Amino acid sequence: MVRKTIARILERPLTSYLLLIIILSIMLAPIIFTLFTSFKTRAETFSWPPTYFPKDPTLQAYHEVLFRSPILRHLLNSLIVAIGTTTIVMVGGLLTAYGLSQYKFKGANMLLLIFIATRIIPPISLLVPFYMIMSFLHLINTYVCLMLVNTFLWYPFAIWMLKSFIDKFPRELIDSAIVDGCTRTRAFFRIVVPVSAIGIAAVAIITFLWTWNEFLYGIIFTNTRSVQPITVGAHYFVGDELVQWDSIAATAIFTALPGIIFFSIAQRAIVKGLMAGAVKG
Amino acid sequence: MRITNRKYGVILSSPGFIIIVALVVFPLVTLFVTSFMRYTAVTRIGFTGFDNYKYIFSDRLFWLSLQKTAIYSVGATGLTFCGGLLIALLLSKITRGSGLFRSLAMFPWAVPLVISGFIWRWIFNPNVGIFTDLLMRLRLISEPLPIFSNPKLAMMACIIADAWVRIPFMTVFALAGIDSIPQGLYDAARVDGADCIASFRYITLPLIKNMLFVGLLIISMINFRTIDVIFAMTGGGPGRATYVMSLYIIDQLWLRVNYGTGSAAGVIMLLLISSFAGYYVYLILKKE
Repeated sequence: MVRKTIARILERPLTSYLLLIIILSIMLAPIIFTLFTSFKTRAETFSWPPTYFPKDPTLQAYHEVLFRSPILRHLLNSLIVAIGTTTIVMVGGLLTAYGLSQYKFKGANMLLLIFIATRIIPPISLLVPFYMIMSFLHLINTYVCLMLVNTFLWYPFAIWMLKSFIDKFPRELIDSAIVDGCTRTRAFFRIVVPVSAIGIAAVAIITFLWTWNEFLYGIIFTNTRSVQPITVGAHYFVGDELVQWDSIAATAIFTALPGIIFFSIAQRAIVKGLMAGAVKG
Repeated sequence: MRITNRKYGVILSSPGFIIIVALVVFPLVTLFVTSFMRYTAVTRIGFTGFDNYKYIFSDRLFWLSLQKTAIYSVGATGLTFCGGLLIALLLSKITRGSGLFRSLAMFPWAVPLVISGFIWRWIFNPNVGIFTDLLMRLRLISEPLPIFSNPKLAMMACIIADAWVRIPFMTVFALAGIDSIPQGLYDAARVDGADCIASFRYITLPLIKNMLFVGLLIISMINFRTIDVIFAMTGGGPGRATYVMSLYIIDQLWLRVNYGTGSAAGVIMLLLISSFAGYYVYLILKKE
């Protein structure tokens, strides 16, 4: 009897909508209240009881973050590292994926399996060896170091996703282009890349975002503000005694911005790319 | 002279091969070799056999960190799994506005974990955060809850901040499974008199079981090694209440400046995760 009632309530569409609205409100509340906090004055962030909406909205926090703190520098660092990593990963990844997918050779599958297997390695395990290698090469505190370790992190995943897109590309199209006098390399850039453009863009965006969000290697391999990425630099407003919540909130908004922008405009492609990589890999 | 297709494939794959050798194989070899070496800032460098491993296995802090890691990853994985599955089920039931709801449900995914740590640190802060205020307004507590000085609550706070970012991943995973179930099955069940609880129990759950399992494995693997949130929220404290294994490894590098034990701990972490992952790879290979 009780079960029947519950089932009847659950079956009504209204219940689903209500529950969804409640749960999604809880899920989105942290982002929204962070946005609100970033418009508060510092005094207001320390008042009790806490306010939910800014009483007199101000851009004070943004002004401080952008012009009176090194945050802009960290954002720039993250941008450089993310663009560099994405370039390395995409150029190397596209070539390798094209080779593994369309021009199979002995050991191609083995190589692919090794790529997947490397994703098992926890990044934290390689902390010490990477540290030793980077110190030996005098690369600690450089963009190059961050780009290299991020390449290690995201390259296998990118190959896996790219290969799943290029696998779907009909081989006849390449072959007929070659019959028409096109070289294999030209066929790749003229036909394969443009046709798979959306998938490739999705992989590039994901690589960019992951590099941007990366924290562990950032905090281990850099210790000066001139190269530290934003995920590490964001600690600037966290003091031992005092945490400047308004500035933290503004920094959080800046740091989450690329993700939120990309997710807003290309969510479907990103999710599809991630799923292709996750389910198969 | 024309290069054969096979050779062409080898040439194309060479950048990938070089990257793997330079950035994976070489560090891995270094890791294993160093783990058997006495390698600190003050002593002479040399081989010591299993001394580093012996040190770690007799180190109380290591076992503590292992325990904290287990609690953290089980908690975060459980919360992520339940939250993701629930949202996916609800999303699959609605029709109007489903695109909008699906988009909204994805957003926490875009937030970097460190930032999630900061955001929840503010929410849970007993002096300025809205969580305490909400509980007090609801008359559930009478004075501010010192979340970050209570070991259990601090751990829970970290788990929530971690799960918050990962729930969308699980949602997408479960949704992909649910969406692939043909509607006809549900219609047939309805004709036979099954209510929605029965359909879930006998149709949805069995059909997405494998998908859910893979999602669960991936998330637990990731949670096992994540540190961003803890770094931003508690830094391992209060005391060592959230001192996970990743922090232990970092301490070998930063505090003790002992590359030998740091590598040995890294090897142990690698072996632990490999046992998870080996099972996962086995499942995939079996499917193909």
